[in-house]
Amino acid sequence: MPSTCSTQRSSIYAPRLCRLLEVSDLTPQEKLFRLQLEDGSVLNHQPGQFVQVSIPGLTEAPISVASSPSRNGYFELGVRKAGSLTGAMHLLQPGATIGIRGPFGRPFQIDALRKRHLILLAGGCGLAPLRSLIQYCQDYPEQFGTIDILYGARSPQDLLFKDDLLQWRLSACFSCTYTVDNDPADSCYDGETGLITRLLPKLQIAPADTCAVVVGPPPMYRPVIEALHDKGLPSDRIMLSLERNMRCGIGKCGHCTIEHLYCCSDGPIFWLNEVEHLRGAL
Amino acid sequence: MKPTLTVCPYCGTGCMFHLLRDESGRLSGVEPSGAHPVSRGQLCVKGWNAHAFVAHPDRLTTPLIRRNGRLEAAGWDEALELVHRRLRQLADDHGSDSLMFLSSAKVSNEENYLLMKLARAGFGTNNVDHCARLCHSSTVTGLVETLGSGAMTNSIGCFDQTDLVLVIGSNTTEQHPLIGSRILQAVQNGTRLIVADSRKIRLSRHADLHLRQRNGSDVALLNGIIRQIIEEGLEDRAFIETRTENYPALKAAVEPYTPQRTAELTGLDAEQIIAAARMFAQADKAMLVYAMGITQHSHGVDNVRAVSNLALLTCNLGRPGTGVNPLRGQNNVQGACDMGALPDVYSGYQKVADPAMRTKFSNAWGVPLPSSPGLMSTHAIDAAVAGTLKGFFILGENPLLSDANQAHVRQALENLEFMVTVDIFMTETCELADVVLPASCYAEKDGTFTSTERRVQRGRTAVDPPGEARTDWQILTHLLRRCGLPAAYADPGQIMEEIAALTPSYGGISYQRLDLDGLCWPCPDSSHPGTPILHQQQCTRGKGHFSPVSYKPAKEEPDAEYPLLFSTGRTYFHWHTGSMTRRSHLLDREERRAFAELNPQDAERLGIGDRQTIRISSRRGTIEVSAEITERVPPGQVFAPFHFAEGAANVLTNNALDPESGIPEFKVCAVRVEAL
Amino acid sequence: MKHMQRAELDSLLTHVAQSYRLLVPQRLEDGTRLLRPWGEGELVLSGEPVQRKPTEYFLPQLDPLLKIDTAGGVQLATVPETPLCLFGLNRADLQCLGFVDRFCAFPPQDDAYAVKRQNGLLIGLTGYCGPDGQLLPLTDGRCDIELIALADGWLAQAFTDIGSALLAEFNDIDPETLGTIRSLSEKRIAEERATLEQAARIVQQELVPDDFWREIGDRCILCSGCNLVCPTCTCFCVQDRTDQGGTERSRVWDSCQFDGFMREASGHNPLGSEALRTRRRIHHKLAADVERWGEISCFLCGRCDKTCPTGIGIQAVAAEIVKRFSTN
Repeated sequence: MPSTCSTQRSSIYAPRLCRLLEVSDLTPQEKLFRLQLEDGSVLNHQPGQFVQVSIPGLTEAPISVASSPSRNGYFELGVRKAGSLTGAMHLLQPGATIGIRGPFGRPFQIDALRKRHLILLAGGCGLAPLRSLIQYCQDYPEQFGTIDILYGARSPQDLLFKDDLLQWRLSACFSCTYTVDNDPADSCYDGETGLITRLLPKLQIAPADTCAVVVGPPPMYRPVIEALHDKGLPSDRIMLSLERNMRCGIGKCGHCTIEHLYCCSDGPIFWLNEVEHLRGAL
Repeated sequence: MKPTLTVCPYCGTGCMFHLLRDESGRLSGVEPSGAHPVSRGQLCVKGWNAHAFVAHPDRLTTPLIRRNGRLEAAGWDEALELVHRRLRQLADDHGSDSLMFLSSAKVSNEENYLLMKLARAGFGTNNVDHCARLCHSSTVTGLVETLGSGAMTNSIGCFDQTDLVLVIGSNTTEQHPLIGSRILQAVQNGTRLIVADSRKIRLSRHADLHLRQRNGSDVALLNGIIRQIIEEGLEDRAFIETRTENYPALKAAVEPYTPQRTAELTGLDAEQIIAAARMFAQADKAMLVYAMGITQHSHGVDNVRAVSNLALLTCNLGRPGTGVNPLRGQNNVQGACDMGALPDVYSGYQKVADPAMRTKFSNAWGVPLPSSPGLMSTHAIDAAVAGTLKGFFILGENPLLSDANQAHVRQALENLEFMVTVDIFMTETCELADVVLPASCYAEKDGTFTSTERRVQRGRTAVDPPGEARTDWQILTHLLRRCGLPAAYADPGQIMEEIAALTPSYGGISYQRLDLDGLCWPCPDSSHPGTPILHQQQCTRGKGHFSPVSYKPAKEEPDAEYPLLFSTGRTYFHWHTGSMTRRSHLLDREERRAFAELNPQDAERLGIGDRQTIRISSRRGTIEVSAEITERVPPGQVFAPFHFAEGAANVLTNNALDPESGIPEFKVCAVRVEAL
Repeated sequence: MKHMQRAELDSLLTHVAQSYRLLVPQRLEDGTRLLRPWGEGELVLSGEPVQRKPTEYFLPQLDPLLKIDTAGGVQLATVPETPLCLFGLNRADLQCLGFVDRFCAFPPQDDAYAVKRQNGLLIGLTGYCGPDGQLLPLTDGRCDIELIALADGWLAQAFTDIGSALLAEFNDIDPETLGTIRSLSEKRIAEERATLEQAARIVQQELVPDDFWREIGDRCILCSGCNLVCPTCTCFCVQDRTDQGGTERSRVWDSCQFDGFMREASGHNPLGSEALRTRRRIHHKLAADVERWGEISCFLCGRCDKTCPTGIGIQAVAAEIVKRFSTN
């Protein structure tokens, strides 16, 4: 038998250990995890990127980073309980460790957003990745024009980041509106009712000077894009984050392809005109 | 590390592949045999993933003995001594027939032979059976009566030469994928296809005719087709005259099954029955293919008789591209039957009730042997509930998940004084055992396996069993010796020599001759080339016997309280109780949740959405599974696979048994479905 | 250009085996032709392509990546120090390996592949050594050395410095000895590729209706063999196996023909029908990879057509596409 290689190499597949600093409930199905790399290094991500969370025995799952790199010393992941790994994450307590790989993926193209009027639009758990950008805008307000945040969820109890939403509503940086699909029985609810597309016609948009960023569940994209097009916004100024079953994060495993593109490395953030002609993209 | 050529451990098709190992010696993959006549460089998804469960960390690695209610690790000597002592004690106190031995269609011919020898010669009981009771016992009973041999009459190669295939009660592309694919290829090349199955299985998309007869109405359908063939004079008179007997009785018996009456009984249109009769009878060479949809009924033997009648009527027997082709489920269920892991026969179907046979085996084994046939496994469960059966030896089976009416089986197993299981994983049945012995899987031992086309092939050792686990044949050899029987087999090849000497149909089979493609039995002597097609000049029994049958409804049909028809079966990605496939990463990923198929009409009426959790109840129990809303099942019918312990279909099924074969009615019972 | 007889070929391989783990074509007991360690069995210098895809040695069906101990520490899987040499690959297999080399090297590099592939040596075998002595087309140079079988021995040409060094001691021969092989070879390749390239154009122009994909999908029994045997298929899933000592993480060959391949935890599946998955299998090779990598990623090795139990390998499907949807 040949001798084995003893020199330790690094690997793109090796997870790094992270410690869980805080866990908070966002909704009955979603929690926010605040994490720090165990070796003290900084994640060094950009808004819109994701990490592969690793739990031994349960492999990995792609999770978008929900916090801005401008918030120092930690990063946050908003996680919906959907499969076995995310289910296990929901049982973790502060102090626990998990593995991560990343950050991966093409981030929000912030350079292209600078000085523009921004429409930041999220549906459901799409607010988690978008929050990294919103926080960034909040921390560098001078870089951007006016910012409209539009958010839709199924019901009041499904609204993510309720504290943030209130804060953004009060912030001078943003105009923030949220809506729920179903007529709320909840008397405390003070937002809009109806699909998120209903919020768009009211917006004042100067198409030449505006960019939209859209993050949401697959069925949301087509109607929202149509509404944005109706407002005169061209596809090359609409940015999307697409969700796929990303297993490796580096364009190798093949689970996230959209025709010739790899969602994990060519995306997950795309300009609409890069993908709208591709079968199965939206 | 040299690749090891071996037999696929899953279905009865008999594909062969090479197990590959990496530098560290562990299994790293599967490569189909390029030249093998069945595999031809091809496999199904389970075959391609057959290496995956072998080194799973859940493998049993040490004997376990129950102490103070808990299974604890023990040494082999202690465990084997305990097994022998307790079984012997029960036999002494309550008689040998208070013991039951359950053999396995997953272990080799040699191991099945040793287990039936252990039961009969070691403990003096014919109470030995295996899971063929649950799958093709109806076939063995029915075809022995009509043709004289209970096996697939033709060979897999025949699908390339036939003009028409009638598939009734077999989801062939999912359960015998490399046979199903031959059927698909034949259809591409012009072969006609009739599918008779209530579910829209993949084959039905390619069928010239898809008959969705009501579950349980197969006798009516087949009688209706037979009557119509006779009505139109399309039967083969010369064949009937020269090769068969009892035709007038058949003709009289099918007379009431006019197309209209058959249509009423089956839920089909009269025109479909007429069209099927014409299409079938006009084919020069037609193959009848069936599986659990025919056998798993309280009138399963009648169903088999009806299939056989149709073949005899049209001369579809004894020629290439024809035949009555029951597809055997497990990779060695044919062999387990051949080896006499059945309560009434020794190896080669030699009857225990026949004094000459008994003398032959008694002389060979050096002990007197019991003369009355033993208990069928399904009757053994009843006997355990009644308390007359005290001890159970279970080799590689998981009756708690695989048998009908789980509550009944649990009661039986809990009622036993002593239960031993030999297995590779801690199955649901093992959890109830007093002793669990860790065994080897297919990749860890030598032995022969007999496929559905009666092809006896060699499985070979690729890796060692994990930890202290031993091969099943070694475990059985130790127990035989403790029973005072000579069992100095150096290897399984020597066991095959003993089998060949005692079993006429295996008389010419030896390891030297089996090297690559194996041999199809009957192979009576060392120069015989094997017999790919049975009944060529005459039937094994002489004349083909028409055995008239009449339609009987299922024992439990939907009613006001339980309005839906429930049937169970398997899916493509999993195998039986899932102990192997649910531990194979890709197969598990494809199907991880217990589910039931529900027609959109029923789903809408019940307010159930896709993937929603539903509760299904029968008179015997209740399960919760995820709903799969699909047109695959007709309105009024629910289908659930029995792979999933957490939503076990056999909690619901009816243990009403066929009076002749003892098979339970897995394919029909009545249930109620509610949204949760 | 060099020339060698069998004894010289053996001496070349013996020499190579001193520095490499040399795998050469051999026949297993059942006739299956595979690459096996030099010296283990008889060298089989002609016949059908080796059955196992050559990328197996760098990206095996079960590929252990790393171990995670109970404290979260990571230990990478060890790899033999001695590099591999694959001998006896034909033009298509070498093209496939070249394609996968490029795919894995694209940043960020797939180090688990690279560490097995690095410093490896590829020796092609072409010329009159196909089944029944048929001509196997010459390589396009994606190897270190190419041996070209003639009636009286082998011509050898090197494409890399290492290859040249290994061939240095052998007798030079006039390149004209290749004679008509090159032109015959090119003609053969053009003929073989014509249908595939025409099908590719039809697929790229989206001229294939969904009904066609549904029809082909109906004939698929989901064995996944087409993907598993394809040398340019690299898709994998990740498997964890946990025991007392920790967790071993491996990658396992996957197939885009499975419903679970792209299904997300939410249940959403962008490849949610058999028709879409069948389209993906063909479209990815004939259109998507052309868009991304500049070439069709099927090199007509023939494996999927042989392993498909229902006759819908890529060549069969390509022929059907041309027959039904060709516009000229």
